[in-house]
Amino acid sequence: MASNYPPPFDDPVEVREGFLCPLCLKDLQSFYQLQSHYEEEHSSEDRDVKGQLRNLVQKAKKAKKKLLKREGDDRTDTGAQERYESFSYGGVDPYMWEPQELGAMRSHLSDFKKHRAARIDHYVVEVNKLIIRLEKLTSFDRTNTESAKIRAIEKSVVPWVNDQDVPFCPDCGNKFSIRNRRHHCRLCGSIMCKKCMELVSLPLASKLTSASKEALASHTSPNSSPNSIHGSRRGSISSVSSVSSVLDEKDDDRIRCCRHCKDTLLKREQQIDEKEYTPDIVKLYEKLRLCMEKVDQKAPEYIKMAESLNAGETTYNLEHANDLRVEVQKVYELIDALSKKILTLGLNEEPQPHPKTLQLQRMIRYSATLFVQEKLLGLMSLPTKDKYEELKEKRKQEMDRKLHMERQATLETQRRLEEKQKDLVSRSTAAPNGEVPYPKRGTVKKSEGWLPTSSLPRQREIADPLLQQIDNITSFIKQAKAANRLDEVRMLQENLRQLQDEYDQQQTLKAIELSKRQAEEEEMQREQLQVLREKEWEREQHKAMSQHSRTRSLDFREVKQHQHESGKENLNQIAQSLDLDTTQMKSSPSSKTPSPDAVQKQVPKENSVFPIKPREGPQYIRETDQNQTLLLNPFEDEADTSQVEDPANTLARDSSQVVSLPTKALHSDKKEYNPFEDDEEDQQTNGATVYAPNPFEDNGNSFQKSVNDQNSGNPFEGLSSTNPFEVDDNEISGEDIIEEELLLQQIDNIKAYIFDAKHSGRMDEVEVLTENLKELKRTLAKQKEKSKC
Amino acid sequence: MNVVFAVKQYVSKMIEDSGPGMKVLLMDKETTSIVSMVYTQSEILQKEVYLFERIDSLNRETMKHLKAICFLRPTKENVEYLIQELRRPKYSIYYIYFSNVISKSDVKSLAEADEQEVVAEIQEFYGDYIAVNPHVFSLNLLGCCQGRSWDLAQLSRTAQGLTALLLSLKKCPMIRYQLSSDPAKRLAECVKQVITKEYELFDFRRTEVPPLLLILDRSDDAITPLLNQWTYQAMVHELLGINNNRIDLSRVPGISKDLREVVLSAENDEFYANNMYLNFAEIGSNIKNLMEDFQRRKPKEQQKLESIADMKAFVENYPQFKKMSGTVSKHVTVVGELSRLASERNLLEVSEVEQELACQNDHSSAHQNVRRLLQNPKVTEFDAARLVMLYALHYERHSSNSLPGLMMDLKNKGVSEKYRKLVSAVVEYGGKRVRGSDLFSPKDAVAITKQFLKGLKGVENVYTQHQPFLHETLDQLIKGKLKDGQYPYLGPSTLRDRPQDIIVFIIGGATYEEALTVYNLNRSTPGVRIVLGGTTIHNTKSFLEEISASGFRGRGAESSQVTARASSRR
Repeated sequence: MASNYPPPFDDPVEVREGFLCPLCLKDLQSFYQLQSHYEEEHSSEDRDVKGQLRNLVQKAKKAKKKLLKREGDDRTDTGAQERYESFSYGGVDPYMWEPQELGAMRSHLSDFKKHRAARIDHYVVEVNKLIIRLEKLTSFDRTNTESAKIRAIEKSVVPWVNDQDVPFCPDCGNKFSIRNRRHHCRLCGSIMCKKCMELVSLPLASKLTSASKEALASHTSPNSSPNSIHGSRRGSISSVSSVSSVLDEKDDDRIRCCRHCKDTLLKREQQIDEKEYTPDIVKLYEKLRLCMEKVDQKAPEYIKMAESLNAGETTYNLEHANDLRVEVQKVYELIDALSKKILTLGLNEEPQPHPKTLQLQRMIRYSATLFVQEKLLGLMSLPTKDKYEELKEKRKQEMDRKLHMERQATLETQRRLEEKQKDLVSRSTAAPNGEVPYPKRGTVKKSEGWLPTSSLPRQREIADPLLQQIDNITSFIKQAKAANRLDEVRMLQENLRQLQDEYDQQQTLKAIELSKRQAEEEEMQREQLQVLREKEWEREQHKAMSQHSRTRSLDFREVKQHQHESGKENLNQIAQSLDLDTTQMKSSPSSKTPSPDAVQKQVPKENSVFPIKPREGPQYIRETDQNQTLLLNPFEDEADTSQVEDPANTLARDSSQVVSLPTKALHSDKKEYNPFEDDEEDQQTNGATVYAPNPFEDNGNSFQKSVNDQNSGNPFEGLSSTNPFEVDDNEISGEDIIEEELLLQQIDNIKAYIFDAKHSGRMDEVEVLTENLKELKRTLAKQKEKSKC
Repeated sequence: MNVVFAVKQYVSKMIEDSGPGMKVLLMDKETTSIVSMVYTQSEILQKEVYLFERIDSLNRETMKHLKAICFLRPTKENVEYLIQELRRPKYSIYYIYFSNVISKSDVKSLAEADEQEVVAEIQEFYGDYIAVNPHVFSLNLLGCCQGRSWDLAQLSRTAQGLTALLLSLKKCPMIRYQLSSDPAKRLAECVKQVITKEYELFDFRRTEVPPLLLILDRSDDAITPLLNQWTYQAMVHELLGINNNRIDLSRVPGISKDLREVVLSAENDEFYANNMYLNFAEIGSNIKNLMEDFQRRKPKEQQKLESIADMKAFVENYPQFKKMSGTVSKHVTVVGELSRLASERNLLEVSEVEQELACQNDHSSAHQNVRRLLQNPKVTEFDAARLVMLYALHYERHSSNSLPGLMMDLKNKGVSEKYRKLVSAVVEYGGKRVRGSDLFSPKDAVAITKQFLKGLKGVENVYTQHQPFLHETLDQLIKGKLKDGQYPYLGPSTLRDRPQDIIVFIIGGATYEEALTVYNLNRSTPGVRIVLGGTTIHNTKSFLEEISASGFRGRGAESSQVTARASSRR
């Protein structure tokens, strides 16, 4: 492959200048030609483009419905279609109505909150009152206290309602009698019958009271669940006294209370439980979502890569794409595994989970399956290495063919122009003054250098600041890519697109202007107003000159031809040079910018690394490549050579060459790429007439940065090391130097955790925590020693 | 003006506002249908909504790891359920959205029930109607009137639905109504009242030409819902019945299990979206194309699954493949059933006569044709009855009206008492006495010439020559020619320019034929957008039910307890 690989200057490179057909990228010489070409060639293909659009956007939005509709209708192409078409002379299909803004809405939240706040305050006070009383009731040793004394204490906690005041049980309405005796709620003092009486066991009581305390303790911990707010609010009011003595006792002694108080307490208990408990499904689900996010991030990028690679482009590295593919696929496997796990959660337990829980699990699994189906199966495969080579070859051939055709077209137009010019000359020679302008033009042209001198294209490059910018950005992108900073790449690409749009627009405007002028010229020629024309001619020419120097679009060739009626030799030369130009510009498909050949050519000249003339340079590279194929991944070579061919990115190229070409000179260059940069700058200042604020310096900097990044390590690696799935819940970040205060706090926290874990029976956690606690204590001791020292 | 989009936006907003995490959507019966019309299950699953619960369901489990999005109509029962829910919350946090205006006192009682502070949001999102198509909505109300006046509960529901529609589209319209209909006037007043009361809500950016709400009454055009239909959507509704985009195919002979009930939604079904307004013949050929397309793909992939590359290609095409196979079998089944019914019931012939009855003025030919069809044993009693109904409506006052003779024929054919009584009920409902405008004879010179020309040229399609009366009304409205005498403005101000945004609402229900008309008007008239709504979307069967439910029993009712349970659809 490499042996008959043509030198890069003949390489097919994308032409961004001039009148490109937006559909087939064919370069057309003028605005009018493009228009007619479009009308002839693509009017029928219009729908295909729409079809392509449709493929791109999977879920067609309303606006696109219309397109779909069109397409569907076209397929059938029945009489009805015409009927409906005949209807639509200006109206809009309701599916095509502009999407309106969100409808009206009204919030009641502030009102709601106002009412709720009033209520909640009341409620909180109630709950806290009960808990304080409960604490008082349980704060002494009930088993070893006489019942009379207990009763006295109980009565002191809350005033009991007078027996005589309540003849009937307020809950069930039964009359109190000797057999149906009155009972007092120890928490609120009210009266009920035995049937309506509830009991609060001591463990429950201790749980409630201690939870309030804990809430107070963990008030500082950054727990922001909505429940913790209640907890802290309530907790802050409750009194704090020791209840630890109660913990150890196994006592069936209970506290009598009424239904309402018990209800309130139970609710409170539920809240406490919920606060502590995160079900397995939530943990798994969070992991699942993380994976999905990752896919959403990576998949589009991969698809872009794969598309480009499948088209035989050399923008991306095949290996890189393969890695990404594997990565994405791994995430998919993880998603599948996680969702399966969610599906089977609790299925083996007794009793079986609630049907709704099972339904939830099924739905999560279903949606994960949908997700995988939609995204994973949409991932196109990559070409194999061999196939990729084939593709590239194919694409190249295609480009060559296109190029060839264009060349022919150019020649054709040239010939036509020539004839026209001849005609013109024959006419103008009749006039004595007519000849004067032409030679003049010719000289102008020559000095402009459409001849194949190396200094010229460079000027072209420099001439348009937009082009410069585009070049810069292209090189940034390369560097960023090399550094794996993908988000930056995306941003830069967006930037580039905008610039290119801008540039295209500019070009079009200029071209329109130009063709107008051309038309004017021709008209005048026809009119044969010699004297007038002469004057006009000069002015025109003057303008055109300035145009020439500013715009470098290929369509200028036409105008140029006008100027060149005299020398046929000259003409041929120009034709050659033009072809060269196009080919040169064709040779960097990745950069999407007209190639600033000059930079490329001069850099190697001044740089000792390339002792060969630029034209031969790439061939040389080729050869080394050939030798290298066994050692190096050919794909990398491909990418690199393409970079070599891409003059916009000299710096990035250098680095890549350094990697791919084991030339000694290059190796030595590796260490001194800075001087290289200086060379470049010098060159700029020396050779360039116009140069915008030095973008290469920026290049150098960012390049260095990217190198640093590379050194610092692959960001993906970083990612995998902080794998969120493996994070231990109880892991405590080990800092090197912990302040005492912090340590103490941590110890307190851990104590609380341990208590909590014990409570909910998570013994394994308890162990881990105790371990942690010990460690902390040790550290604390050390710290203290240190501080003493 | 896209009503589907309007509701969808509301639902999306609710889901977005609740942030990431597992969610449950808590709805009532009506909001369930409202949401199901704009969102498919898989679509909503992607937004992390995994459970759909009814607020009145007792079988809900406490799942504190879920966030609850409540989308409810602000009815007394719903507020009560919600209060119970908040007292003992089953989910961690609640985002509450009411589909209409909720009273301040209800908000207060909800706030007082929220002791555990689980409510994070409480809003009004005005998605209080069933969005059928971008330009069609319904309220799914059957039997909205008693006699010629509103059932009060239905009136308030209709007014709520209409105002919600206006709010969701951000339109504060001028209102015109059909003078001959008392319900139309009542509804117009109710809507106006709401707009006045909630003036803050209706304070939208003013457009140059204010939008227009036109309120009509079904009784003005009883013909349209009695006709057999031949465009896809309308035909499916007429012969199979569409209920919230769902079609019950369980009575189709030999139906496979997973096709018992199919969903036809233009939002997700490309084929349906493209063909819903095409006529039956065109759909036939489109279905053929679809099948060929499918077959072309199917065997190829099944044959050539030898190499791994083929397998891969198959897997990569799989989602589309699966989707397509679902679409194909669905539409093939539906169209197959339609054509089976059409031939079994001799519908082509029946429809031709129906169209003649509706569009032409030749009494003797019409009479002859009806009689001929009544003799045909293939014509069902349902179709026989509707032919006579159409005849009775058109030639009600004709000098040689021979309705009694036809009624005898019906009786001899063995048509049940129920249907025979409905003939007179229909006349009572939509007869000449009731109609405010002339349904049959063209009024102005242009229309007469048009009809004349039509007669000369012959009609392009005999089965679809009928244009609903609504077409003319809207046409005149757009041209600014609709008479103020017949369709007065509510209030002093009138519209000087031609209207641009029009909302038409038909009390007593719209039809899919009218939906098609409005669709075509939208497409053909530049600068005009029309949305059609109705208390429901009728087919003939539901229309007759509506008439019975409204208390039109017909003359000679032997038993007053006639309920129209049109059981003989086939």
